[in-house]
Amino acid sequence: MASAKTRSATADPISEFFAGLEQPGHLATFERETATLRFDVTDGARVEHWHVAIHDGDVTVTRRQLPADAIVRIARSPFEAIVTGRLNAQAALLRGMLTCEGSMAALMTFQRSLPGPPGSTGKVAPISSAEVMAQRRPA
Amino acid sequence: MSDGLVQILEGNTFVVSDDKGDIEASRTDPTGLFSFDTRFLSRWVLTVNGQRLTALSTDDLQYFQTRFFLVPGSGSVYIDAKLSVIREREVADGFHEQLRVLNHENDPVDLEIRIEAASDFADLFEVKDALRKKGQYGNGVAGDSLVLRYRRETYVRETWISASTPALLDDKGMTFRVTVPAHGEWTTELDVVASEGSPEGPSDGPVGIRGQRRRVRQDLARGLQKWLQRAPTVDCDWEPLEHIYRRCMTDLAALRFSTLTMPGRALPAAGLPWFMTIFGRDSILTSLQALPFTSELASTTLQALAERQGTRVDDFRDEDPGRIPHEMRYGELTAFEERPHSPYYGNADATMLYVVLLDEYERWTGDTKLVRDLEHAAGAALNWIDEYADRQGNGYVSYQRRNAKTGLENQCWKDSWDSISYRNGDLPGFPRATCELQGYAYDAKMRGARLARLVWKDPAFADRLEKEAADLKRRFNRDFWVKDGEYFAVALDSDGRQVDSLTSNIGHLLWSGIVDVSKARAVVRHLMGPRLFSGWGVRTLAEGEARYNPIGYHVGTVWPFDNSFIAWGLRRYGFKAEAACIVAGILEAAEVFDGRLPEAFGGYARSSTMYPVQYPTACSPQAWSTGAPLLLLRAGLGLEPHGDNLVVDPALPKRIGNLEVLDLPGRWKRIDAFGRGRIDTDRVTRR
Repeated sequence: MASAKTRSATADPISEFFAGLEQPGHLATFERETATLRFDVTDGARVEHWHVAIHDGDVTVTRRQLPADAIVRIARSPFEAIVTGRLNAQAALLRGMLTCEGSMAALMTFQRSLPGPPGSTGKVAPISSAEVMAQRRPA
Repeated sequence: MSDGLVQILEGNTFVVSDDKGDIEASRTDPTGLFSFDTRFLSRWVLTVNGQRLTALSTDDLQYFQTRFFLVPGSGSVYIDAKLSVIREREVADGFHEQLRVLNHENDPVDLEIRIEAASDFADLFEVKDALRKKGQYGNGVAGDSLVLRYRRETYVRETWISASTPALLDDKGMTFRVTVPAHGEWTTELDVVASEGSPEGPSDGPVGIRGQRRRVRQDLARGLQKWLQRAPTVDCDWEPLEHIYRRCMTDLAALRFSTLTMPGRALPAAGLPWFMTIFGRDSILTSLQALPFTSELASTTLQALAERQGTRVDDFRDEDPGRIPHEMRYGELTAFEERPHSPYYGNADATMLYVVLLDEYERWTGDTKLVRDLEHAAGAALNWIDEYADRQGNGYVSYQRRNAKTGLENQCWKDSWDSISYRNGDLPGFPRATCELQGYAYDAKMRGARLARLVWKDPAFADRLEKEAADLKRRFNRDFWVKDGEYFAVALDSDGRQVDSLTSNIGHLLWSGIVDVSKARAVVRHLMGPRLFSGWGVRTLAEGEARYNPIGYHVGTVWPFDNSFIAWGLRRYGFKAEAACIVAGILEAAEVFDGRLPEAFGGYARSSTMYPVQYPTACSPQAWSTGAPLLLLRAGLGLEPHGDNLVVDPALPKRIGNLEVLDLPGRWKRIDAFGRGRIDTDRVTRR
C-alpha cells in the first residue's frame, strides 16, 4: 500500500495532523491494536479522504478511498477543531457533527491520538484550608 | 426513588412511571423514559372515555418487564368495574407496551382509548439541576408514527411512537375508537423507540442510538436465566444467606451495562437507574467483589476502561495520560461540552485500582492473554502514579481538580464536600493526599511487579516497582501515623500536615497491604472499637470527631461496600475473627433489608436502634452494595487463589452454620468450598 506523506505547503491542520500521526511510524498507545478508518471530510461539495491503518502500533496514512472498519463522516471545519484539540471527538459524535459507520471500537482507538485542548497545562494553584473554610460551613 | 414509582430497565434505557404505568414528569421530577442519559418521554398518560385509571396491582415480572392491572375511575371510592385494562411493558431500545382492554359486560361497549405523549428531552443533569433547554421542539406525524422531536444545531433526538392497530394520530398523542364485544377484549401493541434522528431533516424511521442493537425480548429472559445458571450455588443453614445471594446475582444481572464498542459484553454500571453508565471506580470495585463468582465483569471492565484511558492533558476533563476515566455520559450537556463527561477523569483512585483488578483477575482466571493485551494500559496507569498523581512532588498521590466549575472536588470514594476533615471539623486545602490512595498506589506497584515478572517478562520494571513500593510503605508508615491516636491520618493536607480524624479509610489500608505488621493490631483495635464499629459495621467517620453524624453521607454512616473491603483487609493481616464480625454485621443488615443492601445506612449503635436505618439514596440497587455480600462470602470462607489452586480457610460467624459454595469458577475450572460457622460474633456485633 502506497503511503502518501502529505505535507501541505499551506497551513492545513488536518494534513498536518495526519502527517504528524504517521511520522513517528510507531505509537505505543496503538500497540496490540488493529484497526482501519476512513475519514470522509466534506468541504462544500468536495469530499477529502484520509485512510488510516493501525497495526500493532504502526500507523499508515493514505489519501485513498479504501474500505475501512470505520467510515467517519464530518465537515472540514469541526474536524479541524478536533485535530487541533478545540473540540472533543466524543462530544462531536454525541452532537451529531460526526457520524461513524462500522466499528465504534476503531474510532475509540483512533481518538487516543488526538491532542488535548490548547491552553491545558495540567497545573492548578493550591488552595489553602482557610480558603476552603471560608467557602464552607464549619462543623 | 420515592415509593409508588415503578422502574424497568435494559442497558441504560429505563422507565420510571407511577403505579398505573403513567408518566407525568415535570422539569425536575425524575419520571419518564430515559435512554443514553436523555429523557425521551416526559408524558405518557392513558385514558378510557376521558377517564384516568386506577391501579389494582402492579407486578414486576422481571427487572425489564412490568404488568399493570387497572380499572377506570379515580379510585377514591370502590368501583364495580365493568372494564379492566392490562398494560404490560418491556424495555428494549425504548419500550414496548401491550395494552389490553377487557369488557366484562353482556353487551358490546364503544370506547375512546387515548394515549397522550410528550417529551422534554431533558438531559439527566438537567433533571437533577433544573436547567433550561436551548433547542427547539417539533412534534409531527410521520406515516403511522407520532414523532416527538428536539433539535439543537446538529444534535437531534426523536421519540417514535406507533401502534399495531389503526389509531388517530395528532401532535399530542393517539386515539383509538373501538368497540369491544360482550365479554371480549381489544388489544394493541404500542412501540416507543428512542431515536437519534438526523440533522438533515425528518427521517423515514427511528435511528437506533449509536449502535445500540435492538434485542429480542426473549433474549433478555433467556440471558438472565443463563446468568443465574452459570453462577455458583450457595447452600447454607442460615437461609437468609441463600436469599441474599440470589438477590445479589439477579441485581448484578440488572446492573450489567454494554458499551457501544463492545456490544454483547457487560460491565457493572454503578447504580440503577441514574448511574447506568461506566464509572471507573464503581465498575472496578464491583468487578473485584464479584471475581470469585464471575470473572466476565472484570474482563469487560478492564478492556472498556483501557479503551477510554487518558492520553492527553485536558484540564476541562481532568484528563492526564494513563488516567482511568471516572464517569461517561451521553446526554446533551456532555455533547455540547457544558459538562466534562465525555468521559470525565476526575478520580484519584481508579487508575491504581485498575492495576489491582488486572492482577487479581489473573490470579483467579489465569488469563495471561488479557494481561499481555493490556500491558500498555497497565504501564500507562503505573506511570500516571508518579508522573501525574504526585501533585505536590512529595512522593504521595494527591488530588485537586483543574475544572473548578463542573469538576469533582473530592476525587476519592468519599466524594462529598465535607468527607475529609481534621478532628476539629476544619476542612483541609488542596491538593489532598488521602491515605487509602497511598495504599492503592502501594498495592498497584506490588501487583504490577508480579505481572511484569510473570507475564510481561520485564524483571527490571518489576524490581523498580517493588523498590518504589517499599519506599512508599516506609515513608507512609512514618508520615501518616498519628502517634497520639495510634492510627493512620485520613490524609496529608497541602502543607504536608496530618488530617488527623479517625475514619474507615484505615480499613482499606489493611486491604492494600501498606500497613506495617507492627501497626496492624492498633488499626484493628480502632476498626472494631466502639468509635468506629456500630455493631452492623465500620462507620465512615468515628464517633467523637467534630463532623461525626450518624446520618451524614460520608461522615458517620456505614457503607456495606466499604466494609466488604475492610473484611478482606482484616483477612489479609490474619484477623479472622474480626473479619467474621464484619461478615456477620453486614449480612445481618442485608437480612433486614430483604437481601438488598442500600448504598449506606445510619451509623447509630446497633444496641440503640435494633434495626439498621437506611440512608435515603437515589439509586437502588447500587453496584458495590450489591457486590458486598459476594466479597464478604470470600472473606468469610478465606478464599484465596494460590497458583492453580484455590485455598479455602473459613472463619465464619456461628449463626451461618454450614455453608457450601459449589462450582466456584477459576483457573482450576470449578471448585467447591465448604465452611462451618464457629466464631461467636454476637459478643461484638450485639454488645
